[in-house]
Amino acid sequence: MPNPEERAALVIGGGVGGMRAALDLAEVGIRVYLVESTPGLGGRVAQLGFMFPTHDCVLCRGTSDHGYGCTRPSISPAFLDHNRHPNITIFTNTLVVAVEGQAGDFRVMLSQEPRYVDPARCINCGECEKVCPVEIPSSFQAGLSTHKAIYKSAPRALPDAYVIEYGPYCEDCGRCARACPTHAIDLNQFFQTITLNVGAIILALGYQLFDAGNLEEFGHGRYPNVLHSMQYERLASRSGPTEGIVHRPSDGKIPKRIAWLQCIGSRDQENPFCSSICCMYATKQAILAKERLAEVGCSVFVMDERAFNKEYNSYYVQSREHYGVEYVRCRVSEVREDPATHDLILHYMDEMGQLRRERFDMVVLSVGTQPPAEAEAMARLLDIELNPSGFCRVDKFTPLQTSRPGVFVCGAFSTPKEIAETLIDASGAAAEVVRLLGFNPNNQVSHVLPFLDESDLPPEKDVNGQPPRVGVFLCSCGSCIGETVDLDAVADGAAHLPGVVYTERLRFACFPEGRHYLRRAIEQYGLNRVVVGACSGRTHESLFQRVVREVGLNPYLLELINLREHCAWVHQGQPELATRKAQTLVRRAVGRLRPARALHRQTLTPAAAALVIGGGVAGMTAALAIADSGYEVHLVERDDTLGGNLRHIYYVAEGDNPQQLLRDLVNRVLAHEHIHVHMRTELTAQTGHVGDFRSTLRTTHYGGFTTETSVRHGATIIATGGRETRNGYGLEDHPNVITQSDLEKLIAHNPQALEGVRSVVMIQCVRPPHLPDYCSRTCCTNTLKNAIRLKMLDENCQIIVLYKDIVTYGFREQYYTEARRRGVIFLRYTDARKPEIEPAGDRLKVRVADLSLGRPFEVMADRVVLSMSIEPAEGTARLARLLQVPLSPEGFFMEAHLKMRPMDFMQEGVFLCGMAHYPKFIEECISHALATAGRALQVLSQKSFHLGGVVAEVDPARCVGCLTCVRTCPFGIPEVRPDRPGVGDLGGSAYIDPSRCQGCGTCTAECPANAIQLLNYLDEQIMQL
Amino acid sequence: MTMTETPAPSVSPNEQPAGFEPEITAFTCIYCAYMAADTAGALRLQYPANVTFVRLPCTGKVDVRYILQAFEQGADGVYVVACPIGNCHHVRGNERGRSRVEHTRELLEAVGIEGERLEMFFMSGGQGATFALVAEQMVERIRQLGPSPLKTRAR
Repeated sequence: MPNPEERAALVIGGGVGGMRAALDLAEVGIRVYLVESTPGLGGRVAQLGFMFPTHDCVLCRGTSDHGYGCTRPSISPAFLDHNRHPNITIFTNTLVVAVEGQAGDFRVMLSQEPRYVDPARCINCGECEKVCPVEIPSSFQAGLSTHKAIYKSAPRALPDAYVIEYGPYCEDCGRCARACPTHAIDLNQFFQTITLNVGAIILALGYQLFDAGNLEEFGHGRYPNVLHSMQYERLASRSGPTEGIVHRPSDGKIPKRIAWLQCIGSRDQENPFCSSICCMYATKQAILAKERLAEVGCSVFVMDERAFNKEYNSYYVQSREHYGVEYVRCRVSEVREDPATHDLILHYMDEMGQLRRERFDMVVLSVGTQPPAEAEAMARLLDIELNPSGFCRVDKFTPLQTSRPGVFVCGAFSTPKEIAETLIDASGAAAEVVRLLGFNPNNQVSHVLPFLDESDLPPEKDVNGQPPRVGVFLCSCGSCIGETVDLDAVADGAAHLPGVVYTERLRFACFPEGRHYLRRAIEQYGLNRVVVGACSGRTHESLFQRVVREVGLNPYLLELINLREHCAWVHQGQPELATRKAQTLVRRAVGRLRPARALHRQTLTPAAAALVIGGGVAGMTAALAIADSGYEVHLVERDDTLGGNLRHIYYVAEGDNPQQLLRDLVNRVLAHEHIHVHMRTELTAQTGHVGDFRSTLRTTHYGGFTTETSVRHGATIIATGGRETRNGYGLEDHPNVITQSDLEKLIAHNPQALEGVRSVVMIQCVRPPHLPDYCSRTCCTNTLKNAIRLKMLDENCQIIVLYKDIVTYGFREQYYTEARRRGVIFLRYTDARKPEIEPAGDRLKVRVADLSLGRPFEVMADRVVLSMSIEPAEGTARLARLLQVPLSPEGFFMEAHLKMRPMDFMQEGVFLCGMAHYPKFIEECISHALATAGRALQVLSQKSFHLGGVVAEVDPARCVGCLTCVRTCPFGIPEVRPDRPGVGDLGGSAYIDPSRCQGCGTCTAECPANAIQLLNYLDEQIMQL
Repeated sequence: MTMTETPAPSVSPNEQPAGFEPEITAFTCIYCAYMAADTAGALRLQYPANVTFVRLPCTGKVDVRYILQAFEQGADGVYVVACPIGNCHHVRGNERGRSRVEHTRELLEAVGIEGERLEMFFMSGGQGATFALVAEQMVERIRQLGPSPLKTRAR
């Protein structure tokens, strides 16, 4: 039995999901071992250039890197070598070789392949790479470029160090070891075996790309201008081999016509599932091509365009209408090449049945997702079940639970999915682990500085008001900096700057001996400001901040200047100018430090309760996960019953019983000692900020009188759901025009009413006029589920489904296949010619333009069943105003970031799950709810937390309340508050909530009265040019 | 400035003071711009050392006063490097920064400093080569323009 105080978990897979899960666990005080089989973290996401539909550069938002200095880190800063979360231990190049035990007490054996390079001593100078004689194809660049046998797996690899690909490549010549200035290379390292005790395991194995070479008819590997989608991604990426300049591999020409072929390795006999991401990434690649390549023609050959998430549909429409990307509805079966030009020729049949032949400069194969390579071995090792396609088996209502207790799964290993859903899963799986293990408040880290363990730090010295005593330390980084920059001259110059009392040169400032020297010098010479001239702030600022804090200096009294990447390495051969530049940088840094003030964050103790708004499946699931971890939950439900939409779902396509889930959830919620259910209640006011919200709840009692309750809570979860719209076609009163949920109710409760029904027409994508166009995500599967049931009741009943795109992503594709096998007829229509319904007595005449016949088609139906759009719940807009959170163009709540933060708001401490976010399936609501619970627990479980830091501060004595900052702030944070008198005690002045300010400083630069200062970037600091 | 005053003579390249090495100040955000500079460094992409950096949390923090101060303190040219439009870490800080740079350019023109001495560039963190190229182009441009009129006037 592991030490219960230890509470450790193992996360297998170091991609975006594994990193998120590890960080979430670490935040609540659970020790995490993160195991990754390759030499670096980041997984697939690290390879992506841009994300859809935000076109964010993944460098900044994602995991491969994140802008340094972020006050609200997303993921990767916690994994930087010098900023690692103290509760996370990373094992790269490592495989799991044995697992025994049971939930709560697993014994895991790992085997770690040596890197041969010690990351703690590697300074990334690249001397080894220069002398290495072996070139091998780069897997990070999808084979489009090469690297040496000693290499960095990606430009901003984590760990940030070189590694040797030993295997068959390295010739063991030892040149690298001799070239290494820090003796970081040891070619005699051996495999290591590591044994761990953990209470729970999270599998975040991700996926592998379908091998396009398996389908010879597409010519991948034979025709140079046929690329698979990841190759194209690298080619178009700013960090790719050509910095994003797309050209043809055969002749280097810029392509004029590019074709994307969809469903390569998806939706076929071998792979009877939809890979869920390819439609969107192909659209992204096509749009980016249109933006960057002059007059390029982009054609996407697609069966159904599956744009089934928030803002995806408008992205797709934009692609078609604004950018002119052409979507051709067909599955291309073969690519041929013109050997003379290496152009590619596609033969296909268009939707009108015409045979066509077209020539393209480049063909991109949108390859699907496959189970991870190690899936089978891992399943045997862990004794978990896989589904028939080789992905991890999960049950519908426990989407993060494998078949073995204590082993959880997140991300694409359970079903193909995109980044946002992987992150939802990851946070959800972390919440499941917390529920299983409990958490350890004594093992949490302070966030005074990112991920700084404060336990053995001396008290901070108060140096405010003292005359500056600046120390300037210049690192030569071996010879990296010293060989170009004359550091003696820089030190001499620095010594004459006002305030500088000490200058020193160091060989390796970041090494233990260098840090020791720094600390000693600070103490010995009574330094109260420190300049370190070394390497990138991105990787080393937190390290040196920690060093100065260790001897009692406030971390904001350190200034790190980058003399390596920003000077010596880029100015080789210009020693004089480079030295002049270094002197300027040092002068500025000293000037910046002289007026610098210590920065302290405000410390608060969070209220140990959460408020959950909405008592449907999402709200109840979130409430239970939080309450099971020992915190109080106020669950607010407007209705007089719990359950929300789940009350009207009688069966699901997968066959599970949703009513049993409903009973289960309701019983557990009502019986839970920590859950306070407020029925017939609405939120009427909320004030405060993360950790300390105060809400007013108004309850309407039977008899009509109301009472108000006030609750204090640390986190708010919005789970207000959505609802099926009704008014389609204006035929609501016709008894035989019904919605899919009406039909479901009939099938479940009154199937006799359907006797004698010979002909049913189902119409997809019916949208009341007031709603914007978006995919409601669940309707296609719902329609198929009902169609299959109808066919089971009476196989002779004719069922025609009129659709625009069948959106059965993931394993839901099997219901589409089954419906067709059972004889359901599918006819596609377009928005240009929507189906028309005309009552003819009891029956209905449905008219639709059949695209393949090219003429109208009429059918008499006994029932017409409409798939109605799902819209946000009533009152969503009002609640958004009340909580000061934004709405998406579709009217749903808008999270902080579509991809990277799908359950957070910019407003910290407020979280979002379920259909209030976007229409989704029950299992997706459950994952999402668990994710918000995990996030809320991070707030609630903190002993104390900290607000502020590098934030903007208003000087009320100078503020005239002109509203410039209110208009300027990209996040809508400043407000003019009448209770804060401004200039001359008149009117109100601006207030910027330190718990919400993102620290960009835009308001400070725009304020006409110079009344706002950004801490640590005060005007007097920056003006020292 | 009155109409009778002689404007600062525009210096043609062959009239450059001997050994003129432009001093250029670049304001960078700590997201894409800082990282692009890091990438250029990691790839050892060479560019002239005439460019020195001032880091800001976001180019939305670029203040008209900072730019003017840079010129006053002896810069011959100033430029700002930001995340690509639409990709700003702070959503649209770079757009606010851009409009301020445009405004400052007008101010510079009004006091007889060529607007071309001030420029703004947008790039992603992976674009090390672009970062180096921009530095090179800017140094070349200022070399052609010659020392800042503030310096020549002072002389």
